[in-house]
Amino acid sequence: MNRQQIIGPWRVATGYIVTAGLSFALGCAGTTPPSAQQLADVQSANRSATELGAHKNPRAELHLKLAEEQLQQAERAISDDDDERANGLLMRAKADAELAIALTREDNANTQASKAVEQSDAKLGATP
Amino acid sequence: MNKSIIVKTGLVLLLGHAAGCATTTTPVELTTARASYQQATQGAAASHDPADLHTAKSAMNAAERSFEEDGNTQETRDLAYTADRRARIAEARGNASKATEEQKKTIDDMHSTQAAELGQANKKLEQQGQTMEAQAAQVASEREARLAAEKRAAQATADLAKFASIKEESRGMVITLSGGVLFASGKSDLLPAAQLKLNSVADALMQQDPDSKMVVEGHTDSQGGDAYNQDLSQRRAQTVRDYLVSRGVAADRATAQGFGPSRSIADNKSAEGRANNRRVEIVVEPKSPAKI
Repeated sequence: MNRQQIIGPWRVATGYIVTAGLSFALGCAGTTPPSAQQLADVQSANRSATELGAHKNPRAELHLKLAEEQLQQAERAISDDDDERANGLLMRAKADAELAIALTREDNANTQASKAVEQSDAKLGATP
Repeated sequence: MNKSIIVKTGLVLLLGHAAGCATTTTPVELTTARASYQQATQGAAASHDPADLHTAKSAMNAAERSFEEDGNTQETRDLAYTADRRARIAEARGNASKATEEQKKTIDDMHSTQAAELGQANKKLEQQGQTMEAQAAQVASEREARLAAEKRAAQATADLAKFASIKEESRGMVITLSGGVLFASGKSDLLPAAQLKLNSVADALMQQDPDSKMVVEGHTDSQGGDAYNQDLSQRRAQTVRDYLVSRGVAADRATAQGFGPSRSIADNKSAEGRANNRRVEIVVEPKSPAKI
């Protein structure tokens, strides 16, 4: 009985700590540091977007900028040992870089399609 | 002491919970992602890029699950932000794929139309070529026929010249056949040999202008009565005229007229002169001048 009276509050306290820890762990899962490959992937996607002309495309330009900024932020988070934030930022940066590429390609494809129509109209219109 | 520990652990719990789960308000990123995904499903991605649309759906599900389980956490916002981009990537790639497909179709259609037009132009040229060939062949054939006709006419005239005299006079072309060659004395029936000669005459006449008229004239010498000679000359002229018509000379071109001895061309006192006077003349009238 006595022993239980002494240990009781500790047990309760330990229970809360464990619960709090679990709760924190659930909220902040995935704290593995980003791999060098993840960083390289984003850098590569940004380069591809630039080579494709995303920085000259009004719609794609914003997403290329976001990707570049988020990559820089991720690199800072890595230096600050904030792996969780770094992972999230890299995930965002990669998605933005890929969107910049997709938007540039979409506009290029639309331009080509319009050119084909103009070319067709010019050639077929010229014949009697 | 115990109370203080409980309070402290309670605070730790609250801080831990706050850091881990944050609030349950729907993050803007998730609302935006839902709208983007909805838009992507209604666009070209559904038909042209189902793979990327599926990736967007998986990203969307991850964001929704994170929000459901953990609420408005940084992770949920990151996942939702990424899901929004995945949906827009699917939409853009679907649109690009559709545009490329349309471009290809435009070019294919253009090539098909050009090929069809070229085919029609070739066919037209071929037809024109055939028409020109046919015209050239017709011209050659007409030229050949004309040359052949000229040759036949020359031949007929040459044949005719063997037994008849041909003269161009003011009254027209005059073909003179000796009466002795055509008829027995006092008769108006053609001698068998005469028919062959008249065949040549008919051939020659048919080579002439088909509209020119002709008069077959019968002439005698002055021996015998005038009435008799007039009648004989008329019958002989008619016999020759009828024979020529039977050989193909148009009936309305030829008439017969007997002159008896009235138009002598030689002296009736000598036998040679009388022989010359006994004759049949075919007078082909000169071509009438073209009427304006």
